[in-house]
Amino acid sequence: MGLQINHRSVIKALFKDYLILVAIIALVFVTIIFEPKFLSSANLTNIMRQFGPLSMVSLGMTFVIIGGFIDLSVAGIMSLVAVITVSLIEPAGQFPALIAGLCIGAAAGYLNSAVILTCGALTSAEALFITFGMSTVYGALALIFSKGATQHMSWITSGTWVYDAIGQGSVGFLSVSFVVFLLCLFILYIFQQKTYLGRAVFLTGCNKTAAELSGVHVKRSIRLIYTISGIMTAAGSIMLFSRVTTASPVIGKNYETNAILAVVVGGTTLRGGEGSVLRTVLGVMLVTLLSNCMNMLGVSTFMQTVLKGAILIIAIWLDNRKES
Amino acid sequence: MDTKTASPFGGRIIKLATRQKAFIAIIAMLVVMIFFDTKFYTVYNLLDLLKSASINEIFAFGVTLTIICGGCDLSIGGTMGLAGIVTVMLIDHMPIPFAIVCGLGLGAFIGFINGFFVVHQKTEPFIITLGMGMLLKGISQQLTDAHPISSKNPNFMMIGNGKAGVVPNLVIIMIIVMLIMYYILRYTQFGRNCYAIGGDYDVAVYSGINAVRIKWAAYVICGITAALGGILLSARLNSGSSNYGDTTALMVNCGVVVGGTSFAGGIGGIFQSAIGILVFSVLENCLNMLGIDAYIQQVFKGVVIVSIIWLDCFGRKRKREVV
Repeated sequence: MGLQINHRSVIKALFKDYLILVAIIALVFVTIIFEPKFLSSANLTNIMRQFGPLSMVSLGMTFVIIGGFIDLSVAGIMSLVAVITVSLIEPAGQFPALIAGLCIGAAAGYLNSAVILTCGALTSAEALFITFGMSTVYGALALIFSKGATQHMSWITSGTWVYDAIGQGSVGFLSVSFVVFLLCLFILYIFQQKTYLGRAVFLTGCNKTAAELSGVHVKRSIRLIYTISGIMTAAGSIMLFSRVTTASPVIGKNYETNAILAVVVGGTTLRGGEGSVLRTVLGVMLVTLLSNCMNMLGVSTFMQTVLKGAILIIAIWLDNRKES
Repeated sequence: MDTKTASPFGGRIIKLATRQKAFIAIIAMLVVMIFFDTKFYTVYNLLDLLKSASINEIFAFGVTLTIICGGCDLSIGGTMGLAGIVTVMLIDHMPIPFAIVCGLGLGAFIGFINGFFVVHQKTEPFIITLGMGMLLKGISQQLTDAHPISSKNPNFMMIGNGKAGVVPNLVIIMIIVMLIMYYILRYTQFGRNCYAIGGDYDVAVYSGINAVRIKWAAYVICGITAALGGILLSARLNSGSSNYGDTTALMVNCGVVVGGTSFAGGIGGIFQSAIGILVFSVLENCLNMLGIDAYIQQVFKGVVIVSIIWLDCFGRKRKREVV
């Protein structure tokens, strides 16, 4: 009997992820029927490259949402990291610029958590507006730093092979950005499942008071999730400007909503304490494949926005119905 | 630590400052402007300041209602764009009042759908209305092919640009909406029930309040005010565009919270929201008058948002620790 219950709960658990998987498979299937070019290697590489930036940002965002908070500063951090990293390539060299970019992301994320912790914001609503304000500041700093101008990678004379590799290179049939993504996913999955710190994030998201009373270092968890989000955002930003070979001071626009969309559609709840980076991967897959398939099928970008909104609403709605 | 070092007098000032931060911020800016030789203190500029604030104020009054009920509405950006576009499109085919009523009806319908998901189906308001805003923006783009469209009727433009005496129409409309909303929230059963629902949903239900209907109505009203603001913006600029309202939704929700309406629900008011939105308009006007670079203005804006909400949270934290 025990076996049967297990069996049933496994099916139930599968069904929860099943819906989004069905959506992804159906989408791909329909696209292949109408446009066989979808399977061409050029398009598949293209999908892998489009997948990179959003997946990185969303992976970082997952932990923030599991921890019961939210991070709207992603857009600002992306822009800031992009303009500073590109302008550092020539004077400092490629690797120092890369590391500097990641450090800026981490510092910005840490600063968010510091602001949130010093005022004792406990709910995601308070964090929402604080990070929105921080995003305005970071975005403005990016604009001031670049004087509002877009920087082109082709202007750099000292060689940009690292960034070319991130943006255009491939390892076997996988693009470099996809390999980096797999690596980050592996690390973050281990962090989430196997480490004390990762489990502390879940407890923080479930109930902060209970977590605090049972000896979980809640403040450390909050610092950690925002810093991870900052680093992953910086990585996403570097991937994005390497792919498009220009760094605009508004490059991160809309990434915050898209990342939240991917995380939530994947099945991580905004209430916190529940979710997984693997679910987020499904969410990002749906968002990326949606725009690729719709482009393949010739649906206008405007209708794509409508569909994205509709899918978000339906996904949340169905998720909510299942629980009640 | 701060409680120990602060004197009673200092404590009282901190208390006052933490209660009406937005108001104090406005006073501070007005005082600062006295020392600069600009045209800030002219009737023309002050009226213009109010005029530029009025549309955001109208959005904020509706949003305040949803936030007091314990929700929020991030779809207003999409609603305003779509309502403006639909009204501009309809004006060529029917008299202006009918077109405006259609636009407002559309806003009410969007609010109704938001209410269905958020209140009836009890989903997370933040993410549902975000998705709704995205969807509406897509519809607006589809309708206009992402180009701004303009109306040929000059009377429509006069609504947004005309003046009664010296006072711009927009300011008058804003004040009327403000008084109506103030009356609804303060002196009607509906308004008091809103506070009760936001304060504690379950308690409100057990006290016999039809919480679903009231909160749903709050969303419909919010949709109507968003549509009204969108129509007025279109009238002011004589065009409807899908690009209007890209950042409005977050900005207005933020302004309401800055004014002192608690995002947890049950606390706040129309006048507080009016002041919260006014902070940004006064700030923008002051910085423009002082000739400060647009990008640096953004930094100021962000710092003001963060610091006011920071103080708000900090005040609550102190209260928690005292208890």
